Amino acid sequence: MKVSDLLESRREDWRELERLCWLVESRSRRGMPAEAVTRFSSLYRAACADLALADAYQLPPGTIQYLHQLVGRAHNQLYRSRRFNIATWTHQLLVEVPQQLFSDNCLRLAFCIFWGVFLLSGAMAYTSPGFAEQVIGKELIMQMEENFSPKIQGRNPNLDSFMAGFYIFHNIGIGLRCFSFGLLAGIGGLFATVYNASLLGAVFGHMGTIPQGENFFHFVTAHAPFELTAIVLSAAAGMRLGFSLIDTGGLTRGAALRRAAGKSMPTMGAAMIMFLMAALIEGFLSPSAASYWVKASMAVLSAGMLMFYFVILGYPRDA
Amino acid sequence: MSTGSEQLDTRIEIVTPENIAFQYRVAGPFRRLPAYLIDLAMRVVIFFAGWVGLMLVFGVIGMGGFGFGLGLVFWFMLAWFYGGLFETYWNGQTPGKRMMQIRVLSVDGQPINALQAVLRNVLRAIDSQPVVFYQLGLLAAAMNDRFARLGDLACGTMVVIEESRRSYEVIRVSDPEAIRLAGQIPASFQASSTLARALAAYVQRRRYFPWARRAEIARHLGEPLRERFGLPGQTSLDLLLCGAYHRTFITDRDDDPEIRTGSPFKQTDSMEPGSPFATANDSP
Repeated sequence: MKVSDLLESRREDWRELERLCWLVESRSRRGMPAEAVTRFSSLYRAACADLALADAYQLPPGTIQYLHQLVGRAHNQLYRSRRFNIATWTHQLLVEVPQQLFSDNCLRLAFCIFWGVFLLSGAMAYTSPGFAEQVIGKELIMQMEENFSPKIQGRNPNLDSFMAGFYIFHNIGIGLRCFSFGLLAGIGGLFATVYNASLLGAVFGHMGTIPQGENFFHFVTAHAPFELTAIVLSAAAGMRLGFSLIDTGGLTRGAALRRAAGKSMPTMGAAMIMFLMAALIEGFLSPSAASYWVKASMAVLSAGMLMFYFVILGYPRDA
Repeated sequence: MSTGSEQLDTRIEIVTPENIAFQYRVAGPFRRLPAYLIDLAMRVVIFFAGWVGLMLVFGVIGMGGFGFGLGLVFWFMLAWFYGGLFETYWNGQTPGKRMMQIRVLSVDGQPINALQAVLRNVLRAIDSQPVVFYQLGLLAAAMNDRFARLGDLACGTMVVIEESRRSYEVIRVSDPEAIRLAGQIPASFQASSTLARALAAYVQRRRYFPWARRAEIARHLGEPLRERFGLPGQTSLDLLLCGAYHRTFITDRDDDPEIRTGSPFKQTDSMEPGSPFATANDSP
C-alpha cells in the first residue's frame, strides 16, 4: 500500500480526532457524551500508533509533523490539569505543614533573624533618638506620629472595610514578594527579612519614646501575632527555595529546587491565611473603640492558636 | 534528562503513557511576550470593569468604603492569581496564551497541577526584577534549553507551542513528464526510509527554488539514481526525483494516475503553465 492510500484510509479518523479535540477544547468535559469520550481515547491511541509507525510507513515529514501536533493536542486534552482539591489542601495545611515546620531549619533561621533584628533595631531606636529617623525616614515618621495622635475610638465601618481590603492587598503582597525573593539563593529572602525586621523594629522602638506610642500599641496589639508570624513564615518558605539551590541533598539543582518548591507552597498558603486573618483583625478590631483588654485577649487568643498549630499539630508523630 | 545534550533546536521530545514519543516546540520570549501583554491588558480591563461595577453597586447603597475594600481585594487577586487560576482551570492556558497558541506543561509532558500553576505565577515577582521588565526571567530563560524563567524552573514547567492548523496532505506531482519518468523506474525499486524522507523533503521544498538551484540540489541524489535506473543522460534530474517520489508515495507503476483526479488531496505542482517556473527544465 502506498502512502497516499494509507493517508486516505486514516484521514477520516484524524479528522474526527481533530473535531473531537476542538469539541473538548471549546467546552467543558461534562458537556461531552460518554461515547464521544470513549471514541476520543480510541482515536487518540490510533493516532499514537500511526505516529509510532510513521517511519515504517515512510510518511513524509509534513505528515509526521502534523501527527506530532495532533497527538500533542489530544494528549493535552486527555491528561488535563488537576484542579484544586479542598480535601487534600485541608490535610496539607492541618497535618503536613505544621509537622514540616516544626522541624524546619529555615523557619528557625528566619525566626531568629527576624526577631533578632527586630529587637536590636527596636532597642536602638528606643535608646538613640536619631536611629529611627535614619531607618524609616523623616516623612514617614511624621506621618505616623500624626496618624496615631488622636485617641483610637472607632471609626466609620465603611472605612474599616476599605482598610481591611487594603491590608489584604498590601500585606499579602509583601509576603508573596518576600517569598519569591527567597529564590535568589536565599540572599533575597535574607535581605527582605532583615529589611522588614529592622523597619518594623525601628517603628516599635520609636513609638516607645513618644507620647503617641500608647495609641500605637493600642492599635497593633490585636493583629500583631498573626501578621508577624506570617511574615516570618513567608521569609522561611522563600529561604527554603533559595537554600535548596545550595544544599541540594544529592539531587541536581533543578530537582532540588522543584522539590523545595512543592514543599514551600503549602507553607505559603498557611502564611496567606494568617495574613488574611491579620488583615481582618487590623481592619475591624484594631481601630475600634473596644478596650485594650479586648484587643490584648485577641492577641493572646491568636498567639494560642498559633502555638496550637505549630506545637500541638506539629509535634512529630509516627504516622 | 538525556534530552539536554541531544537537543538541537527548540523541539522537545516527550514520551506519553502510551509509550509514544512525540515532539513539542518550546515557546520562546517572542511568543510569550505578546501573550503576557494580552493578559496584562485583560487584567487592566477586568479590573476597571469590576471596580466601576463595585463602586456603582456599593456607592448606591451607601457603602462605598466596603466597595473600595472589595475592589482592592479584587486587584490583589488579579495581580497575583490571575495566571494561576486560569492555568489551573484552562489546562495550562490564560486568554493570552490561548490566543498565541501556547500552553504550560510539566517538563515531562504531563499537564500542570494547581500548585504549579499558582507558584509559577507568584514567582513572577522575582522574574520581573529589577523593576518590571523581566530581566531576571529573560536571563534565566537564556541559560536553559526550555526557555524556562525562574518560576518555570522552580515548578518544573515549560511553555510549548500548540498549533492546530497544519495540513498533512501528501504533495502530488502532476507533471506528465515526471509521471512518465516514474513509469520508467524499474519495478524492483524500493526506497529506503532515509531515501524516502529525502525525496519527500525535496519535493516539498522544490517549489521555492528557481530551476538552476533545483538542478544543483537534485544532482547529488539524481545522478546516482539516473545511473542505477539506466536512464538517458539528458533526463531532467529534478523531474527524476519527482518521479521517484511519485513511485514511493503516490502510486505503483501499474496504477493509472488519472483515476485519482477526483481525490480531495491538494494538487500541488509548481510546473503548471502560468507558474513562474513553468519553463523550468534543467538540462545540464
